[in-house]
Amino acid sequence: MAPLDTLLTGLARERSTGALRVGRAGTVFLDEGRVTYMECVQTPGVERLLTARGRATEATLRRVQADGGCERLLDEGVLTLGELQYCVLGAVLDAAFFLLPVGGSRPKFRPGERHWLGGRWYFEVSGLLRECARRRAQLAQIWPSAEVDTAPVRPAPWLAGQGVTLGKVEWEVVARADHEATPLDLARQLGRSGYSILLAVRRLAAAGLLAPHEEPEPAEEPTLPRRTRQAVKASAAGGTAGPLFGPAVTADPTDLALLLRLKKALEELA
Amino acid sequence: MLGLDDCLIEVMAIPGALDAMLLDQTSGMAVAVSGSPQGVDAERSAAALTETLRATVDGLARSCPGDTVRIDDMLVTTDQGHHLLRLMETAFEGPLVIYVRLDLERSNLALARYRLRAISSSLLT
Repeated sequence: MAPLDTLLTGLARERSTGALRVGRAGTVFLDEGRVTYMECVQTPGVERLLTARGRATEATLRRVQADGGCERLLDEGVLTLGELQYCVLGAVLDAAFFLLPVGGSRPKFRPGERHWLGGRWYFEVSGLLRECARRRAQLAQIWPSAEVDTAPVRPAPWLAGQGVTLGKVEWEVVARADHEATPLDLARQLGRSGYSILLAVRRLAAAGLLAPHEEPEPAEEPTLPRRTRQAVKASAAGGTAGPLFGPAVTADPTDLALLLRLKKALEELA
Repeated sequence: MLGLDDCLIEVMAIPGALDAMLLDQTSGMAVAVSGSPQGVDAERSAAALTETLRATVDGLARSCPGDTVRIDDMLVTTDQGHHLLRLMETAFEGPLVIYVRLDLERSNLALARYRLRAISSSLLT
């Protein structure tokens, strides 16, 4: 199956108008080949952002969606054109970031369908793809491991140093983290974009402020493996056991975290 | 009412404005761009400017302990010109940042700051 981005690029080339439903993951609305709106179940959409920030009640939104759309919402005077544009921009890019990598479910295109916000602002498909790639690169630059993106956020119980500076979103993440919510849960609770929370979580990880990932402890006692004569012989005979020389190879997450931080520190020095 | 693109037209009308950009501080994205100089990639410069702002906030947080840092605007003057950044808190993500580069000789900083303040308030209220 074609990945979603090639499908979208194709629709953009044909200048199609309609809604592309990506299974249950989300929907992309297109007008003449340009994206007008995009929603993803994992990230808060415009409706959620507006209600979370107290800019509109659900009743108002339902009324506006049924009749009038974007113009009517602005006429009600709850927010300015600039604010709404900024809100839509943020929501669409956030949805794109999480929706575009999804490719497993069978997308279905329905011609003619439009989003209630109407075609007020347009996004070129190529621009969206480029921005998503830039965001992915930025995440990787802050902290190379994507493990923290999906694991529950667990701030470390103590600091490794004397003090630390936290940004606005990082503070909100730390204040809200209950050791069970994943970054995307937190985004929904805080009414913030999923990407901003991922950035905050990766910054926390890079600063060593997250507790190391917990693995279920193996049942046997995790002492150093005793190197017996048989084991040495087995690996010398071309077995797939670990290397004879050098440090023992483990998959201990604390080792990995340490190595990642070391790598990051060395990159900063360079 | 001002949309984000109209807002940049107003910014470029400030005397001495050379180029201007709207940035999303949280994601480091260029929201709208007006007249980048030759050889400057708008996306890269947006990302770099947000990093500059982040570093400034961090630095100030260290140098004035006990305060929560809230930057309204930031001015950097180089031998080539003035760089003015204005932060706007929005109801949503943010802050949204107006960046404008001003000609060293032909601009009036006080006027530019005053106009930026007016533009940002008409954008958001």
